[in-house]
Amino acid sequence: MRDALRAALAIAGKDLAIEWRTKTALVSSVTFAVLVLAVLYFARDPTAVGAVDVAPGALWVTFTFAAMIGLNRAFLLERENRAMDGIRLAPVSPQAVFFGKLAANLVFVGTVELVSLPLFILFYDVPMVRGLPALAGITAMATLAFVAVGTLLSSMVVRTRFAELMLPLLLLPFLVPPVVGAVQATARILADRPLSEVQGWLKLLAAFDIVFVTISTFLFEATLEE
Amino acid sequence: MPPAEPVLAAREVTRRFGHRRVLSGVSLELHPGDALLLVGPNGAGKTTLLRVLAGLLRASAGRIERRGCVGMVAHASMLYDALTARENLRFFARLHGGASRGRVDPLLERMGLSAWADERVGAFSRGMTQRLAIARALLPDPDILLLDEPLTGLDDASAEQVLAVLGELRARGRALVIASHQLAELMGVVTAVGFLSLGELKAVESTAGRDVAAITARYREVTGRA
Repeated sequence: MRDALRAALAIAGKDLAIEWRTKTALVSSVTFAVLVLAVLYFARDPTAVGAVDVAPGALWVTFTFAAMIGLNRAFLLERENRAMDGIRLAPVSPQAVFFGKLAANLVFVGTVELVSLPLFILFYDVPMVRGLPALAGITAMATLAFVAVGTLLSSMVVRTRFAELMLPLLLLPFLVPPVVGAVQATARILADRPLSEVQGWLKLLAAFDIVFVTISTFLFEATLEE
Repeated sequence: MPPAEPVLAAREVTRRFGHRRVLSGVSLELHPGDALLLVGPNGAGKTTLLRVLAGLLRASAGRIERRGCVGMVAHASMLYDALTARENLRFFARLHGGASRGRVDPLLERMGLSAWADERVGAFSRGMTQRLAIARALLPDPDILLLDEPLTGLDDASAEQVLAVLGELRARGRALVIASHQLAELMGVVTAVGFLSLGELKAVESTAGRDVAAITARYREVTGRA
C-alpha cells in the first residue's frame, strides 16, 4: 500500500512538474475558459435573461470543456517516447498508475477552475459569499466524477490515430449525468435556496463519484495493454 | 550438480496482431550469465519477442517465466523530454524503490552523462538519449536485461562504453537478450545467437569458437537471406 502510494505520488508529481515547465495545457485551458465565459456573457440579452439564469450552465460548460484539454494531454505525455512502457516495467500496480494520473488531472482541472471562478463571479455578478463553500463542494464532487472517467478514456484513446478527437466523443456521454447534477445544484446555490434543496443532487453526485472512480480503477489495466 | 534454473524462459510463445501471426511457437531459456543475440531480417519479430519477454505484450499462446527483475532498452527511450536526465532517472528510481534511488548519480557517471545531468532530455543527441535510456534500464540492477538495437546512434567511444557495461553485467551473472544487426560489435559480449525468421526462432547456437563470418554464413543459411 505504501509502495502504491509512493508510486502514485511520483507519477502525479512528474506530470505536474512537466506541465509546470511546459504550461502547454494550462495556458490553453485557461485561455479557453476565459473566452467561453466572455462569449456566453456577451451573447446574453440582459433585458430578456437574468445573469443568474445562465450562470450555472456557463460555469459548467466552461469547466468541462476546459478540463477536456488537460485530460487530452494527460496520456500524450506517456505516448511520447513510449514512457508508459518504462512505468509498466517498474513494480507498480496499474491502480497506482491510475491514481497518480487521476491526482495530477484533478490538480490541473482544479487549478483551471480556481482561475476561472473569479472571472465567472466578475462576469455574472452572482452572489457568492454565502454559497461559496457549497459551490466548492459541488465543484469538487462533479470534477472527481468526470476527471476519473476522463482519465480512463484518455488512456484508452491515446494510442488511436485521432486521440484528441476521440476523447471528447467518448467522454461527453459520461459527462452528462454529473454535469446535469452539478448545474442543477449550482443553480439552487446561486438562487440562494436552502441547502436541503441541493441534497438530492449532492447524493447523486456522490453516487457518480463512487461508480466512476471504482469502474475506472478496475478497467484502467485493460487500457495499458496493446 | 543439477543445472541452474533459467532466469528467463519462453515456452512455445505465439503472438498475433489480429489475424497476423508475428511470433510462432518461440521457445528459449536463459540462465544467469547468458547473453543471447537475436538476429533476423526486418519484420522477423525481434522487437515483438523482446516486448513479450519483458511483459509489455501478452503472449497469445504459450507462456513466459521470469525469475527476477527485468530492464529494457527499446527503440523509444521511455524518457520524458521535458525533464532533465537526473529528474528522469529519479522518477523511475522512485517507481522501482529500494536501492535504485542511490544509483542515479553513479549511473549518470557510468554512462558519461554527469556533465549533462541537469539538461533537459529533449535537447540531447540520439547517442546521449540512448545512453540515458540504458542508465534508466539499469536503475533496478535487473537480473534480465533486454536490449533492442542498443548501439544505434552511438559513436565509437559511446559504443565501447556501452559494450563494456554489457560485458560487466554478463560477468556479474545477469542474463542479456540483445536484438541487433551489429553482430561484429557484439561478438565480444554475447554467448549465443538466436536466428529469428518470420516469427520463428529457427535455431539458438553458441558463439564459442565461431567468428563473425561463420555466424553470418549460418544466418544466410537459416534465414535464406543474403
